[in-house]
Amino acid sequence: MTTKTSLLKVILLGDGGVGKSSIMNRYVTNKFDAHLFHTIGVEFLNKDLEVDGHQVTLQIWDTAGQERFRSLRTPFYRGSDCCLLTFSVDDNQSFLNLGNWKKEFIYYADVKEPEKFPFVVLGNKLDVTERQVSSEEAQQWCQENGDYPYYETSAKDATNVAVAFEEAVRRVLAMDERTDHLIPTDTVKLHRKPRSATTCCS
Amino acid sequence: MAEFLQPDSRRCSYFFLYDGSKVRGEGDPTRDGICYFYPEETPLDKQELLCGQLAGVARCVSELSSSPVRTLRLRRIKFSIHMKDDFLWALGCSMDVPTVSVCELLDQLISLFCFYSGPVRHSYQLNSQRTLAERWARYLSHLQLGSSALHHIFSSLRTIDSTNVDPLLLLKAALILQACQRCPLVLAGCILFRGRVVSTQMTPELTMKIMVYESETYSRAQRPNGPSSSGSSGGSVSSTNVFLTPSELQCLQSAPVDKDHRYSRRFLRYLKTRLSRTLSDTPSSESDPSDPNSPPVFSPAPSVSSSDSPRPSSRSPPFSNGQASHEAEGEPLDRSYYHSFHSNGDGAAGDSGPERRSPLNGGGRTGAGAGGTGAEWRDGDRTPPPPPPGASETSREEPLVPMTLYMHRVKGLVLALLVEPPFLNDTASMEEVYHSSLASLNGLEAHLRTISPGAPGGRGPYVFAHFDLIQRTLTSNLSGRAGGAPEHSFVRATSLLHSHFCNTETLQEAIIRSAGEAVYGTRSVAQETYFQQHGVLLRNSGIPNHQDSAFSLPAKARSRLLKHGVNLL
Repeated sequence: MTTKTSLLKVILLGDGGVGKSSIMNRYVTNKFDAHLFHTIGVEFLNKDLEVDGHQVTLQIWDTAGQERFRSLRTPFYRGSDCCLLTFSVDDNQSFLNLGNWKKEFIYYADVKEPEKFPFVVLGNKLDVTERQVSSEEAQQWCQENGDYPYYETSAKDATNVAVAFEEAVRRVLAMDERTDHLIPTDTVKLHRKPRSATTCCS
Repeated sequence: MAEFLQPDSRRCSYFFLYDGSKVRGEGDPTRDGICYFYPEETPLDKQELLCGQLAGVARCVSELSSSPVRTLRLRRIKFSIHMKDDFLWALGCSMDVPTVSVCELLDQLISLFCFYSGPVRHSYQLNSQRTLAERWARYLSHLQLGSSALHHIFSSLRTIDSTNVDPLLLLKAALILQACQRCPLVLAGCILFRGRVVSTQMTPELTMKIMVYESETYSRAQRPNGPSSSGSSGGSVSSTNVFLTPSELQCLQSAPVDKDHRYSRRFLRYLKTRLSRTLSDTPSSESDPSDPNSPPVFSPAPSVSSSDSPRPSSRSPPFSNGQASHEAEGEPLDRSYYHSFHSNGDGAAGDSGPERRSPLNGGGRTGAGAGGTGAEWRDGDRTPPPPPPGASETSREEPLVPMTLYMHRVKGLVLALLVEPPFLNDTASMEEVYHSSLASLNGLEAHLRTISPGAPGGRGPYVFAHFDLIQRTLTSNLSGRAGGAPEHSFVRATSLLHSHFCNTETLQEAIIRSAGEAVYGTRSVAQETYFQQHGVLLRNSGIPNHQDSAFSLPAKARSRLLKHGVNLL
């Protein structure tokens, strides 16, 4: 379990252009580049931090949002400890797509218990004046989909970025603690539960 | 990665650097002039014998003919010779290595040395002979190791198997390099993965040089830590001083946006002009008339026996140090190849040991000998760099330009950048380049690592080799080093055909055959392709006959190779 707490894999998903790479860069290098290329496939950066007394290395995976890069990014979903679903508050479509991103993640990451998996939702580009998605809408979506924490961020002026990642870490650590408690009583199951395939995309 | 030098896999049997300035008087021992000799365990007597003889013959021939000697033959060994100022380099290979390849190997070796150590005379003044001997040995083994016989024939660049990699990843690599160039101190770069090129912004020749340092740092990194050294930052950055030729530098400094395009276009034009033996072969108005290497006169290579093979060498002197590595094509063919192909055997070339460039072409050009070596350190591109001061008459040392090679390693992936020397002191620039590329390099490494080495499939009842002359890349379904008998004969035939293509510029297609096998070769300005069909009953009637199965080879090659991405249509 110690290895798991020391390296946490966090993955950023969301439509192309919502600012996933910028969020990662802002958090790790504290820089903002308005002229980034489209991300191709996946990229990642490591960051060491301390949350509630736990030393963790956060491995932040940034992914390509465009549909054409799907086959490149999906193999890297596996092993994620937390998923940051990202949209842009000035782009309603990116908000509407959150559900698809969640589905894609659960499918390719092969998440055992999707209802318990820690997702965090980020509404980026808070600095933009013309919003298309209201804070209430976003919060409502989060509540209905599993009570995910929601943060409105701006990679450009660094608003809430660090807070969001720290929250992600807390969620993962909380998950781990819960499973840690279970371990002494739980035996190793060699047979996977025959989860019915028909309902996986409900 | 540790591939040991097997006796049969080494291309080179002898290599030495001899400094004639140390042996002036009658009483001066030859050994004083020997700067480096390979194999190092050779008895000193034998070293002296070889150096003395070759140096003497080379000097004699070049003075008699007023043209530089390129190859000499001594018994069963073919020597490529390079003379400059008082230095003489000789590299000996077995006779069945194509002359072109031997010359290329020597030129590569010398240019590698100069790339990392600077001008030869100067570096021998600065460093001990022992230090430099280690370098020669390292470069020599680098050039000989880890690639197949085919790679040796073509001196090709080792690239990742692009048929097996998503093209988007190649795009990703190219974008990483472009992003680095936003820093004005960064000239150009390349990305390598496990010793193979993923993407490069430089000429193949320059990329090859950089790969030496990559493999050096790789083995250094592996040694202390073992395979699990996964430090994703910190000690992953290194740098070393390098030296560029003025033309290499100019090529790099030309507008980044247009660079690739310009390079290939220029190169194509060069290749194109070589194809015709007409007056159009004279330097076009596009090439600067002030270029000291553009000859005012064009010698249209008359079809005199042996000079059937030398191409019009009006362009060869600028290449004579192998940057573009076509210079050796001016060589008369090796005799045995020549005879086996032109069965009429017009041996008018009068093979008398020393093989050298026909004075008709080479000699007329370079005039007083010294010129032949004066402007050697020039790239194949025809952009006219300002002639280096005194290049053609009095050059003692080439004006090499100091640069820095910056390298950032992420496990098996390496980002190598040629940067202006101030870059290393410019913390802001360095951090910018480091941070702007780190995430992408991490990602690219993760992508490339997960790619399976590729099914060795594609192996059908045939073998082929496809060489891209512009990118200097080789595609083949020949398994690396399994030297089975059928593969061996394919390699031999390929080597033979390659020599012919290099020597006979009008030759476009050829079939070479024995009683039981036939290999087809075809080439265009940009590529050479070799193909052999297995498991077909060879009908060989001895005279041209439409039932002869060899004549179906071109059609078979066209259809079979399409699925390997080789288009011969």
